[in-house]
Amino acid sequence: MSENNLSSVEKIKQASDSLRGSITSGLADEVTGAISESDKALVKFHGMYLQDDRDRREERAEKKLERLYSFMIRLRLPGGFLTADQYLATQDIAGEHTTGVIKITTRQTVQLHGLLKTHIKPTIKAFSEAKLNSIATCGDINRNVICSAHPNQSPIHRQIHEFSYKINELLLPKTKAYYEIWLDEEKLLDKKEEEDPLYQDRYLPRKFKIAIAIPPNNDVDVFGNDLALIAIVEKNELKGFNVAIGGGMSSTHGNPATYPRLATVIGFVSGEEKILKTIYEIATIQRDYGNRSDRSLARLKYTVDRLGVDWFKEEIERRTGFPLEKEKPFTFTDRKDYYGWFKNSEGHWYYTPFIENGRVVDSEAVAMKTALYEIAKTRKLNFRFTTNQNVILSDITEKDKPLINQLLDKYRVREYTESISALRRNAMACVALNTCPLAFAEAQRYLPSLLDKIEPLLDKYGLGKEEIVIRMTGCPNGCARSYIAEIGFIGTSLGKYNLQLGGDHQGMRLNKVYRESLDEAGILAELEPLFKLFAAERLKNESFGDFAKRKQIV
Amino acid sequence: MITPEKNRQIQELVASLGREELIWMKGFLEGVLAGSSGEPALAKAPQSSTKITIAYGTESGNSKKVASAFANRAKQEGIQTKVVSLDQYRLTDLPKEEYFLTVISTQGEGEPPASAKKFYDHIHQNGFKLPRLKYGVLALGDTSYPMFCKAGEDVDNQLQYLGGERLVDIQRCDVDYETDAETWFTSVLQKLGGATTVSLPLGRPVKKTTGKKIYQGTILTNINLNDRGSSKQTHHIEIAAEGVQYQAGDSIGIIPHNSELLVQAIIERTGIDPQQSFVHRDETCTAYELLHKKLNIAYLPERIITKYAAHTEREIEPFRSGLLELLIKHPVKDAAQFESFIQQLEPITPRLYSIASSLEKFDGEVHLTVGRDKFSVADEVQYGLCSDLLCALKRGDTIDFYVHHNDQFRLPQSDRDVIMIGPGTGIAPFRAFLAERESTGASGRNWLFFGDQHFTTDFLYQTEIQQWLDDGVLNKIDLAFSRDQSDKIYVQDKMKKCGKEFYEWIKNGATLYVCGAKRMSEDVEKTITDIIRESGEDADTFLDNLKGSGRYLKDVY
Repeated sequence: MSENNLSSVEKIKQASDSLRGSITSGLADEVTGAISESDKALVKFHGMYLQDDRDRREERAEKKLERLYSFMIRLRLPGGFLTADQYLATQDIAGEHTTGVIKITTRQTVQLHGLLKTHIKPTIKAFSEAKLNSIATCGDINRNVICSAHPNQSPIHRQIHEFSYKINELLLPKTKAYYEIWLDEEKLLDKKEEEDPLYQDRYLPRKFKIAIAIPPNNDVDVFGNDLALIAIVEKNELKGFNVAIGGGMSSTHGNPATYPRLATVIGFVSGEEKILKTIYEIATIQRDYGNRSDRSLARLKYTVDRLGVDWFKEEIERRTGFPLEKEKPFTFTDRKDYYGWFKNSEGHWYYTPFIENGRVVDSEAVAMKTALYEIAKTRKLNFRFTTNQNVILSDITEKDKPLINQLLDKYRVREYTESISALRRNAMACVALNTCPLAFAEAQRYLPSLLDKIEPLLDKYGLGKEEIVIRMTGCPNGCARSYIAEIGFIGTSLGKYNLQLGGDHQGMRLNKVYRESLDEAGILAELEPLFKLFAAERLKNESFGDFAKRKQIV
Repeated sequence: MITPEKNRQIQELVASLGREELIWMKGFLEGVLAGSSGEPALAKAPQSSTKITIAYGTESGNSKKVASAFANRAKQEGIQTKVVSLDQYRLTDLPKEEYFLTVISTQGEGEPPASAKKFYDHIHQNGFKLPRLKYGVLALGDTSYPMFCKAGEDVDNQLQYLGGERLVDIQRCDVDYETDAETWFTSVLQKLGGATTVSLPLGRPVKKTTGKKIYQGTILTNINLNDRGSSKQTHHIEIAAEGVQYQAGDSIGIIPHNSELLVQAIIERTGIDPQQSFVHRDETCTAYELLHKKLNIAYLPERIITKYAAHTEREIEPFRSGLLELLIKHPVKDAAQFESFIQQLEPITPRLYSIASSLEKFDGEVHLTVGRDKFSVADEVQYGLCSDLLCALKRGDTIDFYVHHNDQFRLPQSDRDVIMIGPGTGIAPFRAFLAERESTGASGRNWLFFGDQHFTTDFLYQTEIQQWLDDGVLNKIDLAFSRDQSDKIYVQDKMKKCGKEFYEWIKNGATLYVCGAKRMSEDVEKTITDIIRESGEDADTFLDNLKGSGRYLKDVY
């Protein structure tokens, strides 16, 4: 690929002096709350996006004020794990420097919005004191590694979960820029210390997402990731992982060359060293062969399709020096969070409340923010975020359970969680407006009210208890994985959504467009006859997604 | 000498005139007399032994202009003349003076201009006498203000008290001071035995011109620059006024009207006929118009309460009060008692607002930056009369205003650097300066210091400032948002931080401007002094020189 064809972001990365760019001088510029175009691309590697309040653009322009810029900062939490102290620190930091709202993401971490430029350094310093960081949580690099969250899922959950840390370590960038810029650590004299054999000076062509699933629950939506690892457990022993490559949700409206894709299983690998080696080389192949001129075609899925799955597999084996084994059989039955109390094999208790769209707020319905904070203050538990944007209050001893339960009841968290409909429990939306620069339409601010109107339709046909996976994204990039929902909404313009149907319940099959650019009335008018038909003609235990497929609705 | 008929007419006329009008008339007659003598100017022999000092105290530059013109005329007459600003005047010279003329203006509530304060305070301290002194005071003022020419009067009285002898009587001048001033100086020269060149042309219109051209402006835009969540409310108001003439650095004066609700309440309470006509400053108007548009009824000064007590023959302890509140607590006997009191009320004081635009960029427009003045009286939030009125104006509304020229706040020649310090609404004239320099392509460098409470909500004119930075019109900016961090940061802290460069700019000839709140300007001045001292200079002398050469200018309120 010739130099001239490199996309602008590629040039910025290479010229960035290991992701430093002009960030430091941009921070010192008092006149704007923004940073330069090239630094915008670089701060992503430090875990931040520059955003602005899109609702306020017009009014602020009239007031001769620039856009209301702020940053979104995302933490690196492999496997979604946080101690109670870290949770307290995060909520304190959120209150002091951001909107005060912790947003649990679909990648098992938290992000904070509304961080002003002048507050970034104090925020990162405070996180650092709590042993937390935001390194490489955005940008063209390995993102937060996600893993099936609930410890109850397997007696060897801990062992599998630890792989998220190991992979995280393996694929971290070597640059010290983060420490220099944000934590005022001394500048490196010997640049050799940050030589990076994996990322070199160009990093990956695009984001790179890794997930670990523990069957039979596919809560992590493993096939939506660039690199999917499916734990193979036999007799409570981890045998290794099936490896799948080339998953990814994002596409671009009007660009037929882009498409969502589920990862293809290419084999099985066992033994920690080999597992890590395989993962590492998949990343190096993507580094060397990914498209660096057109970012919309740069994800691993396009590299895999361009060069072929077989070629890719051979290249992995050539680079690792050992062959991949034949994939092992596995079965997924679900991809959900287990709400309520559960006990794992070690005798520890776990409670999962429902947190709508992952926003930890005090609302009329429930004082979730206060509840979680008060519970964290007991320091008798850990926090584990889920990929469905919930939190598992975890590792609670039998002795401490009554205390936690009492607090849950005091703030009516249990009452609230139990009141949530099956539909809502399985619903998910991305951030979208007003902060996401990519959004065409609302998502997390709108989905709850749309659900209010869909629920009565389901009740009308006796489907109120049906667990239908329903997801909404404000654009086709699919952060909330709307392409693998049974009912998916993908924003096309303000108030308009493509209605996608036919995805399966377990996340093994993509949905398809059923109707384009519907408004709310259109959505409800299209769904009602489908629910009626589903209630009348479904097979026993047939999910809505499978029904839609069988009836060739899409 | 005069016919009984004419005498009667004069007596009648005099009886109908107010004090201010009589003063004006005196000046007028002198002018007529001097001008109508018809005799060619007599060149008298130069009085080489006479030395006069003309000291001026100025805010807008008018007193300085007058003083300089006097000096030129005196020099032509061969009189040795020294012109000096009162803040540069050596107070120890005063007892040695023989002929001492002072031209002094009066500010808002009757106080002297800042540059005359030292002198004013000095002569008000007892303990010395000025037996040799022969003096004259020319007081500049504005009859729109209740304390018209008060500072000049104080100086005149005090110099006499200290033993000085009036060479001529004090002359009080309204905003159209030129004629009165010349007439007065003519009489000074006559006293000195000098010539009487009189430049007053014959056939000058007899009717008094106001001197202030009143423009009617139409509101084009009125937006609150502060974003939601700010504790401030600062309006950017664009006013179209055809043919309006001003220079960057000028202000406009606005006479705010009282609320009609308030007027109605007063009328109801006193029983005065709203249609009854009164003569107010040469104009006939109804009681309603007087209360609505002319008289200060919002907050009465103590002296008015005292007058009211005397008028109604009561004992009233002065308190902070509006007219309505006063009438409620201490009602008038009947409508007639109020009618006779109404003339004692003072006119509404015009409010001055620095113009935030340049005609070079916005022809036919005046832009203002108006902070809505918020204060509390007895725990109740109240808003300043004029700022409240301005902030409520809508597109298409009209407003009367006049231009208040300020020659003491002008840009230097185009290749000179300027440093502008203007936090809050103090930014206004600097927006005008930058627009002017942008439009004229001035090559001098521009450095702005701005501050307010919060970056996201209170950065007034942010996008325009960003554009000026991008275009290279603004070369340097330092910002201080006081409440964005735990310890408060103000513009002077930013100045301190780059003190060395600040000093270099001044050394290099930069003119220094400060606009905004008086308290801020005092802190800023202290910091400027510190910066100069740290650069190894004698700070006081250095600053005096800057002031003397017109390179340290203030527009503060």
